[in-house]
Amino acid sequence: MIPSDHFVKFYAEVFKYLQKQGQAAIDEYYTTIAEHQKTHCLDLFTSKGLAGMKEYWDKIIFEENCDADAILDEGKSYTFIMHHCPSLAKVLDNDAGVCDIYCDHCPGWVLPVMTAAGFYTVCDSVGADIPRCVEKTFAKLEDAQKYLEVVKKRHPDHPELIKCNF
Amino acid sequence: MKPEEMRYCSTGEVHLDFHGSTYVGLKYLFDHFGMEAVDEVLDSTAKKVYKSIYERLQRGDSSELICHWRYYLEREKCDFTLTENPDGTAVLELRECPALRQLAKEKIDDRPLICHSTEKMNSCWCEGSPFEIVIEPLENGCRQTLRRK
Amino acid sequence: MIPSDHFVRFYNEIFKFLENKGHEHLEDYFLTISRHQETHCLKQFSEGGLQGMYDYWMVIKKEENCDSDKFIEDGQYGKVLKGFMSGCPSLSKVKDNDAGACPLYCCHCPGWVLPIMSKVGYYYVYDLISLDMPRCQTTICEHIEDARAQLRLVLKRHNGDRTLVKWNFPEED
Repeated sequence: MIPSDHFVKFYAEVFKYLQKQGQAAIDEYYTTIAEHQKTHCLDLFTSKGLAGMKEYWDKIIFEENCDADAILDEGKSYTFIMHHCPSLAKVLDNDAGVCDIYCDHCPGWVLPVMTAAGFYTVCDSVGADIPRCVEKTFAKLEDAQKYLEVVKKRHPDHPELIKCNF
Repeated sequence: MKPEEMRYCSTGEVHLDFHGSTYVGLKYLFDHFGMEAVDEVLDSTAKKVYKSIYERLQRGDSSELICHWRYYLEREKCDFTLTENPDGTAVLELRECPALRQLAKEKIDDRPLICHSTEKMNSCWCEGSPFEIVIEPLENGCRQTLRRK
Repeated sequence: MIPSDHFVRFYNEIFKFLENKGHEHLEDYFLTISRHQETHCLKQFSEGGLQGMYDYWMVIKKEENCDSDKFIEDGQYGKVLKGFMSGCPSLSKVKDNDAGACPLYCCHCPGWVLPIMSKVGYYYVYDLISLDMPRCQTTICEHIEDARAQLRLVLKRHNGDRTLVKWNFPEED
């Protein structure tokens, strides 16, 4: 058995393998993860909206030992600020080495779930080898579009660090 | 030259307190290391930070300096007139210098050091170029004449 | 005149000059900046506490075009003001600079802020994230134990490397 604690190191090896198969294989895997994750949180996001997201990720912050802040601006936005991602941190502390697209799995599943729930999300990875990021979800498309322009300015040379679902 | 063609084209709000911070930096260097240090730092600011303005002037092109003057003085809501001539020379009449205006608000009264920084930056920019800038003090500002040597 | 918009590039040249003379000169300059900044914010911080600090930095956010967020929340022992700088306009300008950035540029911020925080009796933890990245995270606490807990967390983020973590209080009694 791979212990839950070590799942992410296995996860990284899966990504490395799929990378060799091509982008389509990676995308298909993200879709599969998203479908699986919908069973955990889509109902909550749909029924309680932004507050449901805070409820879900507050539990994740606790269970996954995240060093993060979560800000709910009721009716407007939910911001998740990850200061030290336990997932990437474990992958970095790994004799097999990190997978350079590891962080992408997060928007890879979150964005389709947000789309299904009717929300607009922007994911800002600080760096592919830095366990920090900001994910901000909006109720209104125009607010998300404005925020996306702000995030683009943060990464003038690295657009690949920004993902969104609109 | 259009502002967006300058090497640095700041946009958005303006934080005028930075004039006070500039003064604190100049004064610190002067008090601890003398005028030589003030001039060394102004020299690197003029030639390395503003490399583009400096190198253009070396080539006989004053367009970026003139654009810089107009753009930033307008951003700081300054009372000035800038007269440009076809041969690249210009006269900047600065009736109210934004730095002196801001420092007066902060109750800092050391015009010689502030004006020295302008004179030094100008002379560094013009060093080895076909231009020179002559400064004449006015009550709350100065007249800067950019002319051919 | 150096335009306000370009001050930070001049500032950066001063830092390079002073660091070249010896690091103690740079540290001394930070204290001079701190004394100057007292004229802008000491009264507001001492009278307004965390809300005064929040209000001061909201004006700075607007005037300096910061990409940042701040909020006040309850800590375990007292109130806490958290700040998230996602796009620091100061370091961004210094990086967009033909003269190149001083590697210690970010250090001027805790260099002037921490002495003022000590004077007004607040406990401050800086997580500078990376000295070439215009992002940082800050926490200001009313109570030292909240600050100590935050310090432990931030040191853990950096695997114990203290160069990117700054604070103004003893780690233990």
